[in-house]
Amino acid sequence: MRLLALALHRLVWFVPTLLGLLVVTFVISRVVPADPVALVAGETATPAQVEALRHDLGFDRPLPVQFVGYLARLARGDMGVSLFTRRPILDDLAHRLPATIELTVVAMLVSVLIGIPLGVVSALWRNSPFDHALRILTVSGLAIAGFWLGIMLQLLFSMRLGWTPLNGRLPGYPPTHLTGLYLIDAAVTWDWATFGVALRHLALPAATLAFPALATLVRFTRAGVLDVMQSNFVLYERAMGLPRPLIVWKYILRSALTSTVTQIGLLFGILLAGAVVTEAVFDWPGIGTYAVSSIVLSDYNAVMGFTVWAGVIFIVVNLLVDLAHTLVDPRERAS
Amino acid sequence: MRAVWFVVARLARDRSALIGLVLIALLVAAALLAPVLSTHPDDVFELHPSERLRAPSGTHWLGTDRMGADVYSRLLFGARITILIGLIAVGASLLIGVPIGLVAGYYHGWPSDLLMRASDVFLAVPQVVLAIAIAQTLGPSLPNVILALSVTYWPWFARVVYAETRALQKEPFVESTAALGASPWRLTVLHVLPNIASPIIVRSSIGMGFTILTAAALGFLGLGPPPPTPEWGRTIAESREFLPGAWWYAAAPGVAIFLTVMGFNLLGDGLRDVLDPRLRRSPARDG
Amino acid sequence: MTHGRSRLTLVLLAAGLVLGLAALLSAPAAAQTRFVFANESPYDTLDPHAAFDVGRVAVRLNLYDGLYRWLDNPPKLEPWLAESHTVSPDGLTYTFKLRKGAKFHDGAEITAEDVRYSAERILAMKKGAASLLSTMITPGATKALDRHTVQFTLTKPAAIFMAVIPEIHVVNSALVKKNEKDGDWAAAWLTNNEAGSGSYMLTRYDPAIGFTAKRFPGHFMPWGAKSIDEIDFRFVKEDNTRVLGMIKGDYQGTGGYLPNDQVKRLREAPNVKIVEAESMRIMMFQINNQRAPLTDVHVRRAISYAFDYDGFNKEILGGTVERNPVPIPNNMWGVPRDVKGYTYSLDKAKQELGQAQAKVDRPITVGYLQGFSQTEQAATVMANGLRKLGLETKMTSEVWPAMVERMKKPETSPDLVVYWISTYYADPNNWIGEMFSSSQWGTFKASSFYKNPKVDDLLETALKSTDRAVREKAYQEAARIVVSDAAGVWIYNTKYFGPWAKNIEGIRFSPIGNGQEIRWLHYK
Repeated sequence: MRLLALALHRLVWFVPTLLGLLVVTFVISRVVPADPVALVAGETATPAQVEALRHDLGFDRPLPVQFVGYLARLARGDMGVSLFTRRPILDDLAHRLPATIELTVVAMLVSVLIGIPLGVVSALWRNSPFDHALRILTVSGLAIAGFWLGIMLQLLFSMRLGWTPLNGRLPGYPPTHLTGLYLIDAAVTWDWATFGVALRHLALPAATLAFPALATLVRFTRAGVLDVMQSNFVLYERAMGLPRPLIVWKYILRSALTSTVTQIGLLFGILLAGAVVTEAVFDWPGIGTYAVSSIVLSDYNAVMGFTVWAGVIFIVVNLLVDLAHTLVDPRERAS
Repeated sequence: MRAVWFVVARLARDRSALIGLVLIALLVAAALLAPVLSTHPDDVFELHPSERLRAPSGTHWLGTDRMGADVYSRLLFGARITILIGLIAVGASLLIGVPIGLVAGYYHGWPSDLLMRASDVFLAVPQVVLAIAIAQTLGPSLPNVILALSVTYWPWFARVVYAETRALQKEPFVESTAALGASPWRLTVLHVLPNIASPIIVRSSIGMGFTILTAAALGFLGLGPPPPTPEWGRTIAESREFLPGAWWYAAAPGVAIFLTVMGFNLLGDGLRDVLDPRLRRSPARDG
Repeated sequence: MTHGRSRLTLVLLAAGLVLGLAALLSAPAAAQTRFVFANESPYDTLDPHAAFDVGRVAVRLNLYDGLYRWLDNPPKLEPWLAESHTVSPDGLTYTFKLRKGAKFHDGAEITAEDVRYSAERILAMKKGAASLLSTMITPGATKALDRHTVQFTLTKPAAIFMAVIPEIHVVNSALVKKNEKDGDWAAAWLTNNEAGSGSYMLTRYDPAIGFTAKRFPGHFMPWGAKSIDEIDFRFVKEDNTRVLGMIKGDYQGTGGYLPNDQVKRLREAPNVKIVEAESMRIMMFQINNQRAPLTDVHVRRAISYAFDYDGFNKEILGGTVERNPVPIPNNMWGVPRDVKGYTYSLDKAKQELGQAQAKVDRPITVGYLQGFSQTEQAATVMANGLRKLGLETKMTSEVWPAMVERMKKPETSPDLVVYWISTYYADPNNWIGEMFSSSQWGTFKASSFYKNPKVDDLLETALKSTDRAVREKAYQEAARIVVSDAAGVWIYNTKYFGPWAKNIEGIRFSPIGNGQEIRWLHYK
């Protein structure tokens, strides 16, 4: 019941929150002194030609009018056309989203598949040298600048050792387009050569992105497992003489996993923020570089389009995480 | 006062927190004593093109950069910028976020919801992206970076304070004080604030680390203070085109950032362990 | 049972034999030669009339043809689609005779009507070369006299008209008209498709990746026996990636304006050769002549004496560029050979400042381009020099389109801006003419906002006359005045250091095409 109330409460605020985000972004992007119409007109255009183009694009009308017009088109599902690529924003976003999704998912998988077991082992062998080494690693994970880690990895593995390519997703044309996720597209069409190349291109960026997430996961899994291990019912079971592996599996692992679920939202935040910088370092053609280049080029429509997308995703994820948190944590449920 | 001493004593027993404190002390020393500790203090703005990209040696402990300036000396002066950005940005976020969190937590109903949803707006987009937008709009400079970071970090304070204030409201001592007729003002300042001081302090320390990382990222993307400012993130960006040859050029500032942020993180963790053991166990939202 | 099994075995053996034989006998397809080029700018449009810049020249050079073409270094205008041309005595009418039998990629013959349509399209779209052409011809002033004769009527005599003719890339008017939508001259369609006659035909295009094209056997220019069959032009943003790719053999060519340290790495690679050539691309600081205290010539001269030219050219750029003290490339005609220009001398700078009437009491804004570290370094060197004079500076940076926008008005343009001006067409007007004529205010080349009636006269004379000797004298005189006036700070002229695969031959470098016309190339 409380869950439903929370969900409804958040939903009611969903639209105003999104609206607020749009207003803030709209104002910021329009206040920019640079003029993207100049980009469209080309560097050899005269001021008169630029003004004519501005009128054509509707950017000479008062700001509130432009905003309302944008909202009206948005309601119809029209995000407008990018001033830079001259293509519909939705197309551009759809084109670039798979790149970020692939990178983020692989990074997420890496951090989960490595992080959780490490966290559990670290807690079970508490204060062992292994545990100490891991703790140093996890503290480092959140202290290293992501862009610097990426550059150092490039230096070692690409430039010095030559094991991986320097950057980018693929050197040439992508495999047959099915999902836009190159690993899946290549595997499904049995194009294993491309699969291998794509995987090698993913190696460094995914590692860079996963590192802070991995560190966080190890920490919280360890803490969660330690919590459970010290809880009363586990002590009771041990006193009763139940074998350790059984205790580990039955209680510790399960509750560790549960606490991890609530960390997914946190993880998502880390990964998305990290994606922007990681994509910049590795020239990854995803949403992150799209957002940055749109901002830098003052591509109004693209900035708004990205903000709408990011805003919706974030608000939804936050809501889901809050709901999950409420479900899981009895203390929160009681409040 | 006794409480402070108690905290310090407990902290001193935590080895990793001590390490953090030492690292921070090193950073502050580097910043304050930069003119004294550096070997080529003029290299903050002086150029020596004929000595560019030299490897570390006796004269240039960490080599020279693309303009022939001493990397080590510029690193020390860069510490000043790092501390400045961190302190002011976190301080400003605190001054904005804490009152907002207090008001939202104390009152109920739609004004409080409005404030929290406003903070959601700023959390909806990754801080880095929002900071980029602001810095790009206003132009790359030190004050603009600080502004961009302050404007995007305050929600973290607001959220923590909001949650704690709400939790405190249910405490008997607060309810009874209110029942006795204490004004909201008195209640907040005398009773609520001291109790939420711990999470605020912890978040400030962690916030320093986080802010410094984001500031470096902005500097890396070219949105920070302009050349020839020896900002660490910008230095890393400058060094890229000279890799793999001049690896020290990229490695040194990165290690500096790492040690600095590690220092604040370790201290923050130690503070959290000491001040609020309860926090350690709950999967608190972090950032 | 054995019977059945052995029969099966026999059948299988026979099938195997047949297949094996077939595989042996089927002649392997002749190996297709490929050429991959890594470009530093994205090919965001294929429309030859939408862009004019060197960054995307590969599209125009390989997929399209013009009436004449710039070839070799020093650049010469060679007849291409046109066999010859005549100019009327008053210099207003240019008549071109097209070669017969030249075809578009879809088989249609190239006629004068296609040329006429292409010229009109450029003027209508108002992009790329339109800004130059529209000063010389108006819509409707181009006529197709007959199937193979096209005539241009100019509004006034213009010496540079022939120099700009190669930018009228001829598009297949029938094909383009078919894909027009709402009177957009097929702008949307031609962005992603081609309607050309060039040496290569488009096979694949993705604005984020690049384009590929295959040889057009029916091209009017003869092909060699070993000409390249397939070309692949890719957008590869990072210098390091392009360099690594050249070393590994992933690319056979890339842009020739890399930083010196990268060129050194490539020289050491066993499968890469560096082709050196003198290019025409000057780097300079534009000084905002309209903003006090830069209105005072002594202040401008002081600034000109405050830049460490040798430190920048010889040390930071490793001697890979030539000092170019005049706003015309050294290797172009029209340079006054007696002008030595300014040197790095703080004493002379202080002297000039002493003579100045205007007081420099505010920081001088120095603008550079985001993403171009050389401009950042140049700005740093300039700021350092000015600091030594006791002048404060404030650095400001923009991406190129934003900087172009700021440079359109004297109020928004920075005090100093550093960038390059490449060869859009090979004529001194491309530099000094468009930089210092007061009629050019508002264009990105004229952000000096210089206004001198005497110089205006000289430049106007040079534009109108078709006599090379007259023009040369005019440009030389104009250059002398502009240098004396210290209207800008001219740093260097680029040298081209083109990385190419060692086994590639036939490269024809020209400052306009930068060697990216692949039809001349072949593998050893």
